[in-house]
Amino acid sequence: MNDLIGQIFHSLALVLADIEAWLAPYLPGLNWVALLAFAFYVILILSGGLTAILARNLVRATLGLIITFLGVAGMYLLLASPFLALMQLLIYIGAVCVLIFFAIMLTKNTADGEEAQAPGPLNLIYAFLTVVAVLAVAGPTIVTGTKDIVVRLPVDTGSNLGEGLLSMDLLSFELISIILLVAMAGAVYLAWRPQGQLDAKNEKRESA
Amino acid sequence: MDLSLAIFVQIIAAVLLIIALMVGNAVVMVYMERKVAGFIQRRPGPYEVGPWGTLQAVCDSMKLLAKQLYRPGNVDLILYYLAPITAFFPVLLLFLAIPFGPWLTPLPVNDGIVLILAFAGLGVLSNLLAGWASNNKYSLLGAARAVSQTVAYEIPMILALLAVVLQSGSMDLKRITDQQGQWPWEWNIVLQPLAFFIYLVSLVGETNRAPFDLPEAESELTAGFHTEYSGMGFALFFLSEYANMLLVSFVAAVFFLGGYKGPFADGFWWLFLKAYAVMFFMVWIRWTFPRVRFDQLLNINWKWLLPLGLINLWLTAIIVKIAL
Repeated sequence: MNDLIGQIFHSLALVLADIEAWLAPYLPGLNWVALLAFAFYVILILSGGLTAILARNLVRATLGLIITFLGVAGMYLLLASPFLALMQLLIYIGAVCVLIFFAIMLTKNTADGEEAQAPGPLNLIYAFLTVVAVLAVAGPTIVTGTKDIVVRLPVDTGSNLGEGLLSMDLLSFELISIILLVAMAGAVYLAWRPQGQLDAKNEKRESA
Repeated sequence: MDLSLAIFVQIIAAVLLIIALMVGNAVVMVYMERKVAGFIQRRPGPYEVGPWGTLQAVCDSMKLLAKQLYRPGNVDLILYYLAPITAFFPVLLLFLAIPFGPWLTPLPVNDGIVLILAFAGLGVLSNLLAGWASNNKYSLLGAARAVSQTVAYEIPMILALLAVVLQSGSMDLKRITDQQGQWPWEWNIVLQPLAFFIYLVSLVGETNRAPFDLPEAESELTAGFHTEYSGMGFALFFLSEYANMLLVSFVAAVFFLGGYKGPFADGFWWLFLKAYAVMFFMVWIRWTFPRVRFDQLLNINWKWLLPLGLINLWLTAIIVKIAL
């Protein structure tokens, strides 16, 4: 039974390969498909980023961020790294964006809050300086330092990635975990209230 | 994987079949759920329409198709209509990686389980968007619960699956199936009973089913995040919920119960039989256990399932290292 199904599939694939060979002169080449996909992902990234910046509502801004992440995942696919693309979806959309949403819902968020007003000139200057600073540091590095990366990472199977992270790039891997640890400690410190203080606050609220 | 016409045709045919499977599954599951509920509560369940009430679910879906789409005032229009769509479409992709038979994998990928987990993460996003955009306190509370629950239960679920991945050395669902034998004592459930138990509990939490159905708890929150949806908007949430149940059952069957392998003849019939057995189990406990409180729900996860999952993973890693 299963052999029969396999035979049928095999012959179907042969017929389709024949049709493809016959159509080949009229179809756009693979490069064109890749270019179209690249253009689509660039549009996703840019439009998502613009939505994130220009939206006057935090939830819509987060949605823009999600669209950008989808585009970045597509870029990883084009770089022949499906594992990284899926990890991008799993971590950035499934965890990071969901947590951002959660934070938005837990904080008091009204439609006419601070973020709904147009930014002042000083904010625009700060934003501009931030972008320039990041570009000045990262831009030259990206342009000059990424030529050999494709050669260094041939296939992104789980074992290759694991070996790379725990041997060649161990230092940067550990440094990133330290950054995450510091961020987490900082978050706990910001949210920390000594027990007595919290009780006093609650009593005050109950009596009021 | 080369891009060719055969793969395009394969994916399109597979997606069409998967849509048919999702709709058929919802109809069958609604009937099964109501009949089993009736049996457990000593009442007949649906019996008027068709023989033994079998056409009741079909009539219900016709009603949903014909119902007016009612939209409450002051909703966030784009997000309100985007939410059911983002609930429905990622689920289609999830079924692509499931090996239905020795020759029947819609899209063979090396990282099948990562694909499933990655796109399953989009599901909670749709709950959030629906709850936020509905402009309703019940919906917002349901959405907030959905997030903390799903984020929590994803972790033991991944830990349980990771133990099997470590043991079989592959994330390809086809290879994990191939490493198990035909007979029940050759399945992964014998080697990984604790992982199977953790997975069973967390899949109930992950699919928001009773006793862990806090996001929609009808006696507290009306219907939670989808309170304000009617007609097809509600139907899309409903379809994707049952499709998610089917998917986690398929994954349970592939990882722990031998997938399409079974005594006498391998094939998709065994996979479906096992998946529906898991689904029956989910229906069964829904009508047996009362709903837990929210702090109990999170305590079960963080204080029991997560440490158990970590211990199980640790033991598996040691044993695999010694055995190799």
